[in-house]
Amino acid sequence: MTDAARHQILRSIRANLAASAPSAPAAPVPRPPSQREQDADLVSRFTTQLEAVGAQWTLVRGEVEAARALRRILADAGAKRVAGSDAPLVARLLTERLVDLSRDELFTCDAGVTTAQWGIAETGTLVLESVRERSRLASLVPPVHVAVLSTACIVASLGDALARLDVTSHAITLITGPSRTSDIELTLVVGVHGPQMVHVLLLEEA
Amino acid sequence: MTFEAGARAALSDAQLRGALRHATTLFAEKRRAAMATAPDWEGARDRARAIKDETLLHLDRYLDQFTASAERAGARMHWARDAGEACAIIGWIAEQRGARTIVKSKSMATEEIHLNAALARRGIEPIETDLGEYIIQLAGETPSHIVAPAIHKTKGQIAALFAEKLGIAPSDDAAALTAAARQALRRRFAEADIGISGVNFAVAETGTILILENEGNARLTTSLPRTHIALMGIEKVIPRFADLEVFLQLLPRSGTGQVLTAYQSLLTGVKRHPDDEGPDELHIVLLDNGRSRMLAAPVTRQTLACIRCGACLNACPVYRQIGGHAYGAVYAGPIGAILTPQLIGIERAAHLPYASSLCGACRDVCPVKIDIPAVLLHLRAEVVAQHAGKRRVFERLAFRAYAAVMARPRLYERVMRLARALHITPPLRAWTKWRDLRPLAPRSFREEWRRGLKKEGTG
Repeated sequence: MTDAARHQILRSIRANLAASAPSAPAAPVPRPPSQREQDADLVSRFTTQLEAVGAQWTLVRGEVEAARALRRILADAGAKRVAGSDAPLVARLLTERLVDLSRDELFTCDAGVTTAQWGIAETGTLVLESVRERSRLASLVPPVHVAVLSTACIVASLGDALARLDVTSHAITLITGPSRTSDIELTLVVGVHGPQMVHVLLLEEA
Repeated sequence: MTFEAGARAALSDAQLRGALRHATTLFAEKRRAAMATAPDWEGARDRARAIKDETLLHLDRYLDQFTASAERAGARMHWARDAGEACAIIGWIAEQRGARTIVKSKSMATEEIHLNAALARRGIEPIETDLGEYIIQLAGETPSHIVAPAIHKTKGQIAALFAEKLGIAPSDDAAALTAAARQALRRRFAEADIGISGVNFAVAETGTILILENEGNARLTTSLPRTHIALMGIEKVIPRFADLEVFLQLLPRSGTGQVLTAYQSLLTGVKRHPDDEGPDELHIVLLDNGRSRMLAAPVTRQTLACIRCGACLNACPVYRQIGGHAYGAVYAGPIGAILTPQLIGIERAAHLPYASSLCGACRDVCPVKIDIPAVLLHLRAEVVAQHAGKRRVFERLAFRAYAAVMARPRLYERVMRLARALHITPPLRAWTKWRDLRPLAPRSFREEWRRGLKKEGTG
């Protein structure tokens, strides 16, 4: 059924395109203006945007400080059951995390801790790549998501991030702030199906 | 219900008009503010349109490339000529897997093919998980806006609905209502056999599908169940991965007035390793359903450039007054008025090309610069051509006479002088039913000019 459908649809596309008056060839796609940022600006631009989209952030230097900050963030959020991704960095920062949880177990967690592969300064966006880490559900199901991001991995724009993405990942997730909806009278409500709180732990090399 | 009756009912519904005024005004304000944050808005519109034009001119090639890339990544491709075929494919996949419940994220394409009814007929329960869609599913209604499906409902109406259907205490707090929906849907996510989503963009180069959202329900829908089915119109394909940038600049800003929506899921095939997260299988259903026909002429072809942002609905003076349901079609507003007749046939939607004042606000806000008024006029011409029978003889003669007079200044002056002298009002009852015909001035401007207005002006 579907093979016949495929041929018929493609035939219809070709026939209809051929039937149209020969239009001028499509205009060449103009190139976007490129704008490169100074590296020094990137962290402050990124944190400004994080705040604008309702995310929180903490800047730390080195893993010892990061582990301490992570504990404090989780304690402040009242998180007891914490799901962790399989990233080695997460394992080093938080030994008592829960890993390889079932779907049902995940739904009982208070927080999820993952790393992020990239940060996008212009939008305050985190990028999570499945090829690097099992972070898809830990960043989504619990009501709190803490993401550890190296400051060296902040890029200026969406375009810069797309150019660096590893498309061998079967799932790449871009996260900009907490889950939100405005479906009731366009009133913003944070934390619908995803996390209510997103906290970015910015890690500077010690 | 006819369009006229629907529009009349909407106009006398004070609650509906209040909700519409509030929502469309807020959307338009947020859009303007978000536009200002884009580095080069006009340039982005031009680039996006050029990418769409290029794709559509070689749609067969890009669909072949997309299919090959997605299959290489492990996706299974299905082609559906029409709505019935798409429903049959999805229903068959669901039955093969013994699915009982299906979670769905927001997808206008699934509305277009009336998928929920088709699944229900097979004894499978589809559960809408986007909050707006969930509200209207509970209410037994259909979406009235492409982006905000429950835009027509007030908080009070939603509170009453939730109290009745979910058994919660009535609340006028949007956060409490949202929390109730979250809780009700969590269980459904945990037990669902299949997740069904739409597709915002499909990249030919990599086989990637991109889904934008704010709530996280599309992420859950595409991550938790073992099987993910994605339904997309054949026009959703774009050539290159890098092309996503410009569309991600345009779509959230135009749609919800956000710089970026909370989540973008870029899904390329299925997981590579059994321990990976995500579904075991991804089925992508490519839907024609009248789209390939639109390629036949440049004027109709541009309809396929639409990225479903909904900005034209919020800008339209007709939509802002009557809302989506009065259009009597899945796709409402200006884009619906050009899309629907082309999808389901002009004879079944002949009223829609006329559901516009041709003011052009839709064209001005369209992020991919679709000339919607031009398509409306083209479709009106088709309606007239189809009805070109005896009943239209008078109309055709009248317009021919009008054209003849208007093209000849001398004749025009003479006719007008005669009309003024005899106090003739043209027999245009059907026309003046909805519009005012201004009374003729005692003397025309040109006469006044000749009689001395010229001297006054210069003196």
